[in-house]
Amino acid sequence: NIDPESLLPKLPSPEELRPFPTTCATLYRGHEGRVRSLAIDPTGTWLASGGDDGTVRIWELLSGRQIWSMKIDDEAVNVVRWRPGKDAVIISAAAGESIFLIIPPIVDPETETTSRDILDAGWGYAAKSTNTTASASVKKEPPAKWTRPGTLLEDGGVLVKATVRSTIKVISWHRRGDYFATVSPTGQNSAVAIHTLSKHLTQLPFRHLRGLAQTALFHPSRPILFVATQRTIRSYDLVRQTLLKTLSPGARWISSLDLHPAGDNLIVGSYDRRLLWHDLDLSTRPYKTLRYHSKAIRAVRFHQGGLPLFASASDDGSVQVFHGKVVADLMENATIVPLKVLKGHAVRKELGVLDVEWHPREAWCVSAVPITPASPYP
Amino acid sequence: MSTDPTVAAESPPGAQVKVQFITSHADISLPENTGPILVPTHLRRYGLSSIINHLLASEKPIPFDFLIAGAFLRTSLDEYLTANGLSSESILTLEYVRSLIPPLYLASFEHDDWVSTVDVLSRSSPLPQLSSDAAGQERILSGSYDGLLRVWNMSSQILATSSSVGDGGHTSSIKAAKFISPSQVVSSGLDRTVRIWNYNESSDHFSAELEPLLELYGHTGSVDSLAVHAPTNKILSASTDHTLGIWSVNKSDNPTAPPQLLPSRRSTSARSKRRKTTSSDSTTPCRGPLALLRSHTAPVSSTVFSPSDPTVAYSVSWDHTLRTWDLVTASLVDTRTTSHPLLSLTSLPDLHLLAAGTSARHITLIDPRADVTTVSALTLRGHANAVVSLARDPESAWGLVSGSHDGTCRIWDVRSTKPSTGAVSGEVGESVYTIKREDQPDGVRKVGGEGIKVFGVCWNRELGIVSAGEDRKVQINRGKDVMASSE
Ligand SMILES: [Mg+2]
Repeated sequence: NIDPESLLPKLPSPEELRPFPTTCATLYRGHEGRVRSLAIDPTGTWLASGGDDGTVRIWELLSGRQIWSMKIDDEAVNVVRWRPGKDAVIISAAAGESIFLIIPPIVDPETETTSRDILDAGWGYAAKSTNTTASASVKKEPPAKWTRPGTLLEDGGVLVKATVRSTIKVISWHRRGDYFATVSPTGQNSAVAIHTLSKHLTQLPFRHLRGLAQTALFHPSRPILFVATQRTIRSYDLVRQTLLKTLSPGARWISSLDLHPAGDNLIVGSYDRRLLWHDLDLSTRPYKTLRYHSKAIRAVRFHQGGLPLFASASDDGSVQVFHGKVVADLMENATIVPLKVLKGHAVRKELGVLDVEWHPREAWCVSAVPITPASPYP
Repeated sequence: MSTDPTVAAESPPGAQVKVQFITSHADISLPENTGPILVPTHLRRYGLSSIINHLLASEKPIPFDFLIAGAFLRTSLDEYLTANGLSSESILTLEYVRSLIPPLYLASFEHDDWVSTVDVLSRSSPLPQLSSDAAGQERILSGSYDGLLRVWNMSSQILATSSSVGDGGHTSSIKAAKFISPSQVVSSGLDRTVRIWNYNESSDHFSAELEPLLELYGHTGSVDSLAVHAPTNKILSASTDHTLGIWSVNKSDNPTAPPQLLPSRRSTSARSKRRKTTSSDSTTPCRGPLALLRSHTAPVSSTVFSPSDPTVAYSVSWDHTLRTWDLVTASLVDTRTTSHPLLSLTSLPDLHLLAAGTSARHITLIDPRADVTTVSALTLRGHANAVVSLARDPESAWGLVSGSHDGTCRIWDVRSTKPSTGAVSGEVGESVYTIKREDQPDGVRKVGGEGIKVFGVCWNRELGIVSAGEDRKVQINRGKDVMASSE
């Protein structure tokens, strides 16, 4: 491990690395209880949130105005993610063992039709494949049940529900918007599931995963899935169905992962307070270990829209913002500079900042806070 | 002239300094041959103001402010000389302007929900105008997140409220609203529509009606800003869908509404609506845009007609650009790229400048003329959050007001500047006055402007500075004709 302080004199000063978030611009107040998860839509105008109150909410990002709220389940909404792409507007949210796919009432009729078509395409397929299974007389419980969530939810735009066997903590979309992975850490052999939206189909690719799955992530451009257990990250080639790499970040309990948009650098957050940067070209050991948080790290996130920024969110009540510049030259290593500690988040019952998210273009981030609301920092 | 450093350090009682008074306002200028005048260095703005009034032989004293080297004089001349290390033997050039008057709080109009936008109809509104004998018939138009338009008289009475959802009204929050004429209003919002309303007052002017006239479809995102040019019957709309819409006030000028964008209540079934070409069950006619201007790559936040040519429009966007459009050919003429998302826009015609408010808490002044290569002519700093609304001073070519998510409106005189320090390049201006929300105590800073964000502001000669915000109020502050308090 390198003492980060010893690196500072050689690095550019934060002043030269603007823009990055510095002050709180908006509070989004409305959730009862903790906000668990946040996501900004691909156009950068809406914020979706999910929390302990079982609701998914949509906010105008700029004004902080709540535009829509829907209680989707009695259990906490642990994760919300927008389906990638601008052709359709679909939110995925997980509460308990279920994933809910939602078309919120913020879209024009034409986009709504496109979005509905995407969600509805799989019904026919599901019916067909059920028949096939029945005729083959194989009595096996499917990895997930895809159902209509009932009139009350459907009238509110919650159109598809897929239920797996144990509580889902992570949703990760493939960039094309047809596949998404979910992780249920207590699910043992069914912990990691890959779902095909167009077929309403769920597969369990890792029947013999070593260790407890924590999180999973698709590579931004290649058919590769990263899966983290408590101590190890493995990458798999989804086409050849082979193990590609095994990374050992040196953390005792991994909480979160994110890939640089170019796909060859990975950041890892851990409950034992470490933030690790892996250069996938270099080694299976971390290129840098950053130990700035005094409590568990809950979320790590790269800016995906061209700015050299990443952030970590922690139970210590802070979001830390870093400059992370990756150069195309394989011989040159990434430049990492701590930029700003965003404080002012209340810590309740040992839980601090549970999620952090970047705007798709701007140097704005949004953080999820217990009780007190989420806040973005332009 | 020799300089004696001891003079600057400590002026003896009765010290004097030579000043040359200048002004750019013809109506208050001194006789041409007025040379430098010897004045006592203990004088401040008030004493200097008295001298000018004496020289002008004004019947009624006019309060003046004084600019030295681009900054307002806020101290005595003596303190200024000391602070700048100048000798009292130098000749100071003092530019005098009519004093800006504290924008005292006048009134608030209470709403049920956040107020996103506000406009004024008066005898002096740039366009449209009330007739000159219509004193006392000034009207304030407000648009709210509750989806309703309200027209108020100056006694804070609501004369008319627009129809509600399902009754021909907006189906979601209103984001922009303006008078087209004393009898027509245009509004737009989150429901992606632009709507035109007839506004009719009863003969006693104590009640009125807002009647839906036309629903305009074409945008696929929230319509956040409108501009009206009444003489040519044109309306511009700025949308989060990255486009700018051009519409006619006259129903028949606009083409048929794009059927795929009509809400499902207007078609018999969601499935068949693509094939339907006309509306079925609403009484309000629907139309489409004359043109949609595409070029911005992020939400368009604001648009204005060129003050000198109504066939030219400017727009600003979250994509950091100011774009110039030719409305006749519906084509892009010019693009200026700045460093930040631009959220608001107004023009300063006499200066050939546009003022754009940013998400980065400042206002940037841009000269849009093609032969000008500097991107930003001046930066106005002081807000603590996004600058989402701008309006110009109806009485001064140099004045403007800004509304911000920090919960304040700030008044700026673009002549009040100082050279920048640090990373910022160019000249930097400071606000002259700050208007707080009426019930905000001094010294309390709300994180993220929570509960007090300002969303809209306009500045009218008769009514003053009218602002709308998250506090569910339209607030009116005095904008003119107040004598400065003496020092
Ligand atoms: Mg490399």
